[in-house]
Amino acid sequence: MPRNQSAALPIAYIALRLLIVINWLGGAAIFALLMATIIAPEWTFTALGIPPADWIRSVIAGLQLVAALGIVAVPLNYMILKRMLAMVVTVRKGDPFVAANAYRLQAIAWLLLALQILSMIIGAIGKAISTVAHPVHFDAGFSVNGWLAVLMAFILARVFAEGTLMREDLEGTI
Amino acid sequence: MAVIVKLDDLLHDRRMTLTELAERVDITLANLSILKTGKARAIRFSTLEAICGALDCQPGELLEFAPDPAD
Repeated sequence: MPRNQSAALPIAYIALRLLIVINWLGGAAIFALLMATIIAPEWTFTALGIPPADWIRSVIAGLQLVAALGIVAVPLNYMILKRMLAMVVTVRKGDPFVAANAYRLQAIAWLLLALQILSMIIGAIGKAISTVAHPVHFDAGFSVNGWLAVLMAFILARVFAEGTLMREDLEGTI
Repeated sequence: MAVIVKLDDLLHDRRMTLTELAERVDITLANLSILKTGKARAIRFSTLEAICGALDCQPGELLEFAPDPAD
């Protein structure tokens, strides 16, 4: 398919912009929930289906910690999405093989690593506060695919950096 | 740079302009200008061949190695 007919870039551009908004909205929702559990715990937990009689301090504290970590993930997600968006823009302009994109990929790899560590911490908290009577399960923890993505991002960043250098050399070749 | 491009001297000797050379070797004037001013990072054998053919010279007449005094 010719490059100018490809719909992938406009779709990626719109999807990334949407994800940026959704990410902030999700973050705001988690923040609001966390604040509500601190300011008005009785009302909030009752609304969530946990009456005060069933409260276990450690579980509540664990859930609040997970929510706080969820908020930490929001700016990390934003930094990844912002860099991906900038990369898509360079592709649309027809000049993606620039040093800035190599740095962006490298930064994305580190941010993905941070998110994986965060996910493992959240998974561990979930296991720690989960009991037979009150099972707690988060979609977090060690993920082979997640770590493969981190590894791949680091490798791609390196490949991109080398490619950019080669391209610079080629540009100066007469 | 330690390698000097002597395209200007060769053009002067042959009474040829850079534009004429560009037409003969089918390389853009902008690229030949980069080469002439020593701003090129590398030169292809095909470019060398075309320039030497058009100017009737040897590659050694086009390029000169002059070590930097600092090295």
